[in-house]
Amino acid sequence: MKSPKQVWLWFAGTRVGRSIFRVGLPESNLGRMQAMVSSFLLHLHPAKVHRHSLQFSSTLGLGLISLYLFLLLCITGVALMFFYVPSPEHAYDNMKDLEFVVSAGMIARNMHRWSAHLMVLCVFLHMCRVFYTGGYKPPREFNWVVGVGLFVMTLVLSFTGYLLPWDQLAFWAITVGTNIAGYAPVIGKKIQFLLLGGNIVGESALLRFYVLHVVVLPAAVVFMVALHLWRVRKDGGLSRPGEPDVLVPQSETGRLSTNKTYGLMELARGTSPAVGLDPADELPAWPHLVFREVLLFLATMAVVMFLSVFWNAPLEEFANPAHPPNPAKAPWYFLGLQELVAYSAFWGGVVVPALLLVALVALPYLDRERAGVGVWFARERRVAVTLFTLCVVAAVILTVIGTYFRGPNWGWVWPWAASVVVPH
Amino acid sequence: MDALKRFYPWFALLGLAVGGLVLAGYYKDEFREWKRWQRDYNAQELSRAATPEQKEQARALPVEIRQIVLPGLQRVDRCTTCHLAVEDPGYAGYRQPLAYHPSHAQHPFDKFGCTICHQGQGRATEREAAHGRVAHWEHPMLAMKYIEASCAKCHAATDLPRSPLLARGRALFDEQGCIGCHKLGGFGGNLGPELDRVGAKRSPEWLAKHFKSPAELVTGSSMPPVKRSDADVTALTLFMLGQTGERLTEYYVSMKTIPGPELGQRLFSQKGCIGCHTVGGKGGKVGPPLDDVTKRRAPDWIVKHFRDPASVSPETVMPKYNFTEPEIRALAAFLGSLTGADISAFMKIPSQASPIERGRAVYLKFGCGGCHGANGEGGVPNRNARANQQIPALTAANDVADVFLESFVTEGIPDPAKLDPNGPKPPIYMPAFGDKISEGELADLISYLRSLQPAPNEKP
Repeated sequence: MKSPKQVWLWFAGTRVGRSIFRVGLPESNLGRMQAMVSSFLLHLHPAKVHRHSLQFSSTLGLGLISLYLFLLLCITGVALMFFYVPSPEHAYDNMKDLEFVVSAGMIARNMHRWSAHLMVLCVFLHMCRVFYTGGYKPPREFNWVVGVGLFVMTLVLSFTGYLLPWDQLAFWAITVGTNIAGYAPVIGKKIQFLLLGGNIVGESALLRFYVLHVVVLPAAVVFMVALHLWRVRKDGGLSRPGEPDVLVPQSETGRLSTNKTYGLMELARGTSPAVGLDPADELPAWPHLVFREVLLFLATMAVVMFLSVFWNAPLEEFANPAHPPNPAKAPWYFLGLQELVAYSAFWGGVVVPALLLVALVALPYLDRERAGVGVWFARERRVAVTLFTLCVVAAVILTVIGTYFRGPNWGWVWPWAASVVVPH
Repeated sequence: MDALKRFYPWFALLGLAVGGLVLAGYYKDEFREWKRWQRDYNAQELSRAATPEQKEQARALPVEIRQIVLPGLQRVDRCTTCHLAVEDPGYAGYRQPLAYHPSHAQHPFDKFGCTICHQGQGRATEREAAHGRVAHWEHPMLAMKYIEASCAKCHAATDLPRSPLLARGRALFDEQGCIGCHKLGGFGGNLGPELDRVGAKRSPEWLAKHFKSPAELVTGSSMPPVKRSDADVTALTLFMLGQTGERLTEYYVSMKTIPGPELGQRLFSQKGCIGCHTVGGKGGKVGPPLDDVTKRRAPDWIVKHFRDPASVSPETVMPKYNFTEPEIRALAAFLGSLTGADISAFMKIPSQASPIERGRAVYLKFGCGGCHGANGEGGVPNRNARANQQIPALTAANDVADVFLESFVTEGIPDPAKLDPNGPKPPIYMPAFGDKISEGELADLISYLRSLQPAPNEKP
């Protein structure tokens, strides 16, 4: 009986094995570096990672979880596309068929639905993490902007997918959501018309949302994620305290590089030539990073599977333009916005969200404080942390009110008193 | 790597969790209720098999989703996934879901499926969902007590000898004068909501309760309660349930005319056959009398004659009517039923009725009885109206000149006199019928109203 490792070593040694894996199972630090650099999937990683970046408490794994959820969404989404026709006559029946006759159809739909909600949540939390650890400070300003773009795209992706089941929930959530877009001055109505392909949610709106959801936005997100990850590498890895790193004499990896000012796939920052030097406190990404990534993927998968096995994605009655539910609610992540709109369509629906978005984009360029990178809630950043926290708390409170405390005619209800329509 | 050893338990735990959840998902997906019923059925078939070939067939029975795809009805009915024996009389008296469905010859399953009559959720393959008793499904299975309602989706309520409750409901609908306030099929008043899709919107329980006490379910409703027996309320409910406004494609619409004598009789009067032919001595003399035509001619000759009269009697002046084959069968059946019957027994010839009779028909047509009582006796409450807070009886017409009576009908009384001048407007008012009623109908209606007033010596 051979151990899996022995089987692996045997296979990697055959001609076929060698043609696939350029390096065998690494035995030395040099081998570990080579494994990372020579593999297509692994070369997205640095060959060596700083100890700080490996610590779970530095990142909570939120960016990676978001990426995993996006991959899960792509896979389940393609599976669902085989069973879906984007037309009002068929869409709802397709949902019923997924539930009742397609093998694993309901599980696939559940996984897609819950992953989508989790992704909105994780991308938002990831943004909060980067803020609270000062990760947007130079040289990573632009990557923060890319991240804000990805956050907005995540919301739009989820929103466009919301319409596709063509039930009451979908129809009225999109009606409410696109109405909010219509409040913008001058161009609002035009944007709404462009999105819907008409003045109300109908056949052309479904087709447009479908094309946006399965082609345009995923392609754009793939590009933006690639850019985001590339910038992480080029900006010197994850932010951490004490940048630029202290340089120490190169270990055995040094044999690869004798006349360059960078170590293996890792910029060594500084003004003096750093020949033969490496950043201190770094570990080979194989296996320290790769193992943690696999672990995080398993955890993500476990949560998604748990939700999908025990809770079905909602499906209400067939969409009926003549029967609005009362209240008609947008998807949950827009309910804070809808709550604001209830106070004032122009200020709540246009000015406040626009200002918030501009503030998010401009944040790394406005914040002149250089200290506090890589530390949670750094003392030097008390003002910034307080302001950001206020905004987050306000957003959460508004969303919770919109979700649980609003009943017919957007009147106040206690969640335990009456049956409140909670959109899923 | 020793540094990673502390993660190994986590790795094992999460790996097991994901594996277990994948298995749980597979179990949920794979083991479905309907498979059990199919195995039961297959075992049943095997036990019934007598010959080796039958046994072979029974063993080869698959376990698979069965469905009837009905593009014309925009349905997919998977009911037969569990109800496997609906077409096998050998299963008569079996317990559901393996029971036989009696008498379906006129509505073959492959053309009609199940849910067009029974409702429920045809696409579903789980019991509660399929029977429509789950949240967010608007059409739960129709109780058998109301099943005749489904006939009305395709058939006229009065066509069918086998749906007496539906016909009773239709008759009550006319008698109660519902049409005075409600529109059905584009005809009727504006005081209440349209009823064309009411069967798709309301549950049987709601409708039955609403007939008995409308204001309890619809706040501020001014509809008078229907004071009838429970059986009548059920019939009315059933008729309402049939009004679903579903549009069926051509195949099913053509099936709605049952080629029986009733349809033949309707066609006979619609096409004006009586203009040239006599029945029971009445009618035109251009063509031969038709009372005994089925004795004189062979059935085949009659059918050919309806298709193209000149094909069997070259000298004929009778035009070719382009009847459909079901219509020809219906007309032939009707002619066969004549044999000397008195025409007035089955054909209403308007000119032969008296103006009062015709006026009574107009009274029913416009649903006047809904407010003024089945025979003009009044009595429907109208809050804050003068005259006893009731809609007035029509026996008071004697003091009013014809011209005023006519204007009441054509222009209506949008603002009836109030008991309390400062009180609210009475909820019901006399609508204007001017754009609906013809001059002849109006004259006949006035004759009928005059007939209601007491003779001068009975005057109080």
